Amino acid sequence: MYSSVVRLQNTFGYFTTVVFAVAAVIAFSDLFSPRTPSVGVLKATNVQVVRGRPHYYSSKKEEYAIIKFSLDADLSSLFTWNTKQLFVYVTAEWPSAGGSSGSGQNATNQAVIWDSIITAPSSDHLANLGPVAMKKLRRSAEGKSIDPSRGKLTLKNQRPKYQITHPSGKLAEQDDVVLRLHYNVQPWVGLLTWNQDVDLWNWKTLRNNLSKKFTLPAIKKKKATEEKKAGK
Amino acid sequence: MLSSLQNPRQAAAQLMNFGLILSTAFMMWKGLSVITDSPSPIVVVLSGSMEPAFQRGDLLLLWNRNLISETNVGEVVVYNVRGKDIPIVHRIVRKFGVGPEAKLLTKGDNNAADDTELYARGQDYLNRKDIVGSVIGYMPFVGYVTIMLSEHPWLKTVMLGIMGLVVVLQRE
Repeated sequence: MYSSVVRLQNTFGYFTTVVFAVAAVIAFSDLFSPRTPSVGVLKATNVQVVRGRPHYYSSKKEEYAIIKFSLDADLSSLFTWNTKQLFVYVTAEWPSAGGSSGSGQNATNQAVIWDSIITAPSSDHLANLGPVAMKKLRRSAEGKSIDPSRGKLTLKNQRPKYQITHPSGKLAEQDDVVLRLHYNVQPWVGLLTWNQDVDLWNWKTLRNNLSKKFTLPAIKKKKATEEKKAGK
Repeated sequence: MLSSLQNPRQAAAQLMNFGLILSTAFMMWKGLSVITDSPSPIVVVLSGSMEPAFQRGDLLLLWNRNLISETNVGEVVVYNVRGKDIPIVHRIVRKFGVGPEAKLLTKGDNNAADDTELYARGQDYLNRKDIVGSVIGYMPFVGYVTIMLSEHPWLKTVMLGIMGLVVVLQRE
């Protein structure tokens, strides 16, 4: 009855039960920490459309939009003891040429122009950084297990990480383009959460995360600008 | 201890017990598959391309229904490249169009470039049907056992042997 095999089994069974119970409690605790993210500024500051190739050996020419933007947001309330990282991203959204649907959550065209991984101090060691940047990052939160100040974002005339295009290759003079800020909270254990459209008890929705509509300019031509300069 | 082998009734009961455990596990897996509408509702992360969010061996719970909204940009999805049977966990970064024909582009958070190079020849974008599910739940490290098993196949034999021995030797 009480052989060592049975004892081993019982111990292991008890261990897994406890682990899963603790994990469930931690995951559930997310619901009780209020989330009050806010956006101060989100606007496109400088927009360009250039012609380029998708990769070096391609003969196809496509139009690429380079959207510089300014962002001021406070996402510090998203950092709790169960936050492993915060993934913040800005998308550009525009309706299709047919122009039936506006820029709702299901905008017809949506592309990430900039994103950022903000690790919590407890997951700094996992970040993909060089030794110098890693040292700096770890020193920035020495002795802290949660560092909400990392959620405060201030970007001025930020260059986009990604130049975006469209499968048709056409993007110049596109009307009704908007920028939208999103976030994704990655927990240590539990459910992944994104910014939600409605208030859910303790979790407030991310308001003001949409920029004003703007129009992409015509393709920037080198010759044209040179002529202008010469004319002046 | 081997007395159970001399008693065929007990041996048969133990075999049934073992079968019951296996079939329960199988039913739970398939049941979860029906609930989430995904052929494999739980996957193990095999690469570091989504670090620091997901490490090798982490367990992900998938959801493949579009109850509230379509699969959108920013969601982390598991997809299969056409013609290959390797599930990849990456984030959707571009979406053009709506419905099942929408063109989706993915990228790993930890990768510098998007996944165009990973897709099949002539495939520039994913469609909704290539996606096995969106990641909704996360449990670290638990799936590392399966990575160990696939990287060291002899462990499988050892484990099966131990399990069999335990079942045979166990009384009751």
